[in-house]
Amino acid sequence: MSSFLTRNRLILLAYLGMVVLLLVTALFSPGFLSESNLRSTLVLAAFVGIVALGQTFVIIGGGIDLSIPWVLNSAAILMTLLCAGQDLPLFWVAPLILVGGAAIGLINGVGVAIFGVPPIIMTLAANVILQGLILVYTGGSPTPSAPELIKFLSVGRLGPVPVILLIWAVLALVASLLLSKAAFGRHLYALGSSATVAEFSGVPTARTIILTYASSGLSAALAGMLLTGYSGQAYLGMGDSYLFTSIAAVAIGGASILGGSGHYLGSIAGALVLTILTGLLPALNLSSGALLVVYGAVILVTVSLGSETFASLWGLVFKNKKQKTEGD
Amino acid sequence: MDLIEVSGLTKRYGGIVALSEAQFSAWAGEVHALVGENGAGKSTFIQILSGAVHPDEGKLQLEGQPYSPINPDAAQALGVAAVFQELSLIPDLAVEQNIWFRREPRTALLTVDGKALRRKTLELFDKYRFPPLDPARELRRLTLAERQLVEIAKGLAKDPRILILDEATSALPAKEAEWLLALTRQIAAEGRLVIFISHRMGEVRAIADRLTIFRNGSTVASHVATAVSDDEIVTQMIGRPLVRLYPERKATATERIALKVDDLRSGSRLTGASFELREGEVLGVGGLQGHGQRELFQSLFGASRATGSIELWGKPTQIANPRHALIGRDGIALVPEDRPGQGLLLTKSVRENLTLSVIRRFTDKGFLSRGREAALVKEMVDFLRIKAGTPEQLAGTLSGGNQQKVIFGKMLLTEARVLLLYDPTRGVDVGTKGEIFQLMRDLAARGYAILFYSSDLPELVHVPDRVLVLRSGRVAATLGAGRVSEEAILRAAVLDEAA
Repeated sequence: MSSFLTRNRLILLAYLGMVVLLLVTALFSPGFLSESNLRSTLVLAAFVGIVALGQTFVIIGGGIDLSIPWVLNSAAILMTLLCAGQDLPLFWVAPLILVGGAAIGLINGVGVAIFGVPPIIMTLAANVILQGLILVYTGGSPTPSAPELIKFLSVGRLGPVPVILLIWAVLALVASLLLSKAAFGRHLYALGSSATVAEFSGVPTARTIILTYASSGLSAALAGMLLTGYSGQAYLGMGDSYLFTSIAAVAIGGASILGGSGHYLGSIAGALVLTILTGLLPALNLSSGALLVVYGAVILVTVSLGSETFASLWGLVFKNKKQKTEGD
Repeated sequence: MDLIEVSGLTKRYGGIVALSEAQFSAWAGEVHALVGENGAGKSTFIQILSGAVHPDEGKLQLEGQPYSPINPDAAQALGVAAVFQELSLIPDLAVEQNIWFRREPRTALLTVDGKALRRKTLELFDKYRFPPLDPARELRRLTLAERQLVEIAKGLAKDPRILILDEATSALPAKEAEWLLALTRQIAAEGRLVIFISHRMGEVRAIADRLTIFRNGSTVASHVATAVSDDEIVTQMIGRPLVRLYPERKATATERIALKVDDLRSGSRLTGASFELREGEVLGVGGLQGHGQRELFQSLFGASRATGSIELWGKPTQIANPRHALIGRDGIALVPEDRPGQGLLLTKSVRENLTLSVIRRFTDKGFLSRGREAALVKEMVDFLRIKAGTPEQLAGTLSGGNQQKVIFGKMLLTEARVLLLYDPTRGVDVGTKGEIFQLMRDLAARGYAILFYSSDLPELVHVPDRVLVLRSGRVAATLGAGRVSEEAILRAAVLDEAA
């Protein structure tokens, strides 16, 4: 475990940052640390965290998924339309939508891995196409409200524990096992470090790339359905803010945006940091414009703390401490 | 007076001492060679000289003044320029843009002055009598040898007082290497200092006035080149007398054909190669650079598209990609040309690199077994005597020879019994070279079939059982035991068959 932490110092830093941010927030708005508020913060973080799951895989593999907003949005709208407020259809609609999300990701992955389309172009195009299709399909008219069952999954509780946190915990466990204990993880880190070396070493590069995008489509579709349960209905544009937050959560969590490093445990910390931040900012009594400026700036600073330059500064700090203890 | 004088130079990386109390002095107007095994500290030493690495301790003086460049730019401003072994050029820029990178001539509008850029490049090529090289060509379209020439030009363009050449000849074909050797003499004659690193003793002999020997991170001795014998140098380099570089060549080939290639074609360079490689045989591949050797190795490994027929152990095979090539005991493995680009994940550990191709060998129901992985790693570290602090050390921090051993280990773990070795000793020190040759013979004796390309003619003469000479993408000659000589290889590479 200690070797895991030394190799993943940035993840530790992300959690440290989260704690500091939590304390600062409590200073500005004392009610923030109340049980109910912490719980609702965790629930909000879960949506970011679930979206960031697939994005973590994609970024570690050296790609990026910009199709998340409208995969999420399409999943939300299709679910409400197909279920029409009833619970029963959900048993075939939910699997269908998850498969559909994964299929969009599969197409992204095939475009990137087989046809060599740059990830930014491929996924951005998928995003725009989905947006257009949904607008055509719905004609912009409002959709029915979410089924009760999905509301239970998003805002319901089992005892004191929100159901969505259980879902998130299971997903986090699966993702961590895949990254740390499965062949898939080894392939993924190798791919992100150098696609050519991975190819020359017999890593199934195309398959790995396609899997990452498929998992990203899957997690975005799941998040879309759960988010609909949270807000009670689906609406156009509900996924837009999740593009930036999914990437920021991964980056704050210590992954290199160029691929080859990072872990979902870090992205969890990233999702928490981002959510606490959105809780802190209103307490500062700033205008909504100023809020966005601060939000963006804080993310910028947090991510750059993990950059090469800062890493060497950290190295100096740690090294001096070590020498001191050796001298004692 | 000494142009550069160094004493007590020490550099540590974590717990590993890369350089310890090194002493060095050199004067203007000489060619000063640095010799030593990989990992002996030469690379760290010149990285410090060129400002890329900062020493922990030690005193450096340039013309009697304290010298501690904060970065390579500062070193260059003081007239110290290095041509490094691992090439640092930008693939998307043209030759001339790379040579003058960040120092481009400007027009009045501060845009790059293309005409002046071309003129300065041609002047530079002319002044140093460069081998033919098109200044406008994009770097990515050049061969490794041509890139090395660009790297040399980039160093010379800075007009340094001290020019450091790190293994600059190792990527060059014979003629270009000779040109470079003559060039170092010319530069020294102009009153400048050339610090020259090479693993080829013949080159050091040909040009060096003096030499400094490195071993295990420190400087062992400095000699006037004419006053010391090869044996003394090698003994001081490896700390014991070297028995011999080339292993005994016992014929271990059987009648069984491991690899049969018929009319293999790929791209414009490989135009129909046919040959057979037997179990237990080391088959050399020679010829002038660019006559299809690279394409041959890459297409056999499934890394380039090719047509023609390939039989492995008697079975016709289509090799679609490297993953396919590496599968099973009937597979085919490649130690590639470009170590950092194709062979090794520099930012990952020795362990992760070694086992990258054989993850399924320690996976149970989808889960990795750390214990079984550790056993595989230990097997290879011991078998190949890989010198790493721990298996968790990053591969990028190993010396060149040890990096090459990691790649060998990765391929040997696959259990593929046909090995393709593309210039496996490039940039590798004498001691490790000997180990690699011995390893090749040992593997052959165990039934491996080895296809071996080398850019170094003596290796082709002394190591393989037979040598194929490629010319214009075909096998121009097959030289069997007793007929292999440097002259015979060159003759077949250049001349049309004289009946």
